[in-house]
Amino acid sequence: MKVRVRFFARFRELLGNEIVAEVAEGTTVPDLVKQVTEKNSEGHTAIFDENGQFREYVILMRNARRIDTADAPKQIIADGDDIAVFPPVAGG
Amino acid sequence: MLSERERERYNRQMLLFGDAGQEQLKKAHIFIAGAGGLGSPVSIYLAAAGIGTLTVVDRDVVDRSNLNRQILHYDSNIGRKKTESAEEKLRAINPDITVNVIDTSIEEKNAGNLVGNAEGIVDAMDNYPARYLLNKIAVNKNIPLFHGAVRGFYGQATTIIPGQTACLSCIFPQAPPEEESPVIGVTPGLIGMVQATEVLKYLLKKGELLTNRLFIWDGLQARAEEIYMERNPLCTACGSLYETSGD
Repeated sequence: MKVRVRFFARFRELLGNEIVAEVAEGTTVPDLVKQVTEKNSEGHTAIFDENGQFREYVILMRNARRIDTADAPKQIIADGDDIAVFPPVAGG
Repeated sequence: MLSERERERYNRQMLLFGDAGQEQLKKAHIFIAGAGGLGSPVSIYLAAAGIGTLTVVDRDVVDRSNLNRQILHYDSNIGRKKTESAEEKLRAINPDITVNVIDTSIEEKNAGNLVGNAEGIVDAMDNYPARYLLNKIAVNKNIPLFHGAVRGFYGQATTIIPGQTACLSCIFPQAPPEEESPVIGVTPGLIGMVQATEVLKYLLKKGELLTNRLFIWDGLQARAEEIYMERNPLCTACGSLYETSGD
């Protein structure tokens, strides 16, 4: 099935606007984001820590709704999902 | 009561909300935390709109590297306190309002007193520790926090009504790592306008506030998006209001 992962702000600079991916049945949200970022080490490191967990400040959105990064491993991707990954911006 | 001069000054906007609306703005007191990239456009437009009392707090001195975005300050102000520079410009823009400026840093020990009896806080800070502090004060005083932040061509904004909507700590439980953000002046200009518009709508009780929604702007793509946010009942900042508000 086909899903879309979109990035914002710093993550967009590193990984581009979006990646459309073909994923297997049963793929979780972190699996998907790892799959689409694994070839881009800077982008991957910006999003995941050394244990492969989402960094604490990462904001995840599924179909325009916020999902908790701690809850993300329980969320199974469905066909047509729109996943967005972004960092809060801090400047003023 | 509005003077003849005020009626003339505000004539075009009073077509939108009349005497009653303008009086609402005149009697309002808004606290603007920071006179930098966001604080500049926010304070200029709120002054021009006739918010009766503006308190602007900043601890910095104008530096040449500020001038690409901090439009309250001019080249001739380099080396001057930002608060003095801000006071001069805001008074020149609108002599019919009261401008208080305070040259200090916003810290745990003074933040509550600095905000005083203001009816709303504009977050024009450049770091999350200061933002979390403002969020806490907004929750304690039960007044709105108008959040904005920028990086490069990207910006975000949301409006927080304590006890009713997601607060800053519900939305961003963890601060991003500190960095010297790249920024182009148009981005805080645009995000500052979202914040100032929210302040006006809140005071005028008009329209639909940007609550429980994070507005995200990508200037490079010229796209705006929004993300729906919810209160976190376990939030360290506003969770205590959860039971008392009964929702």
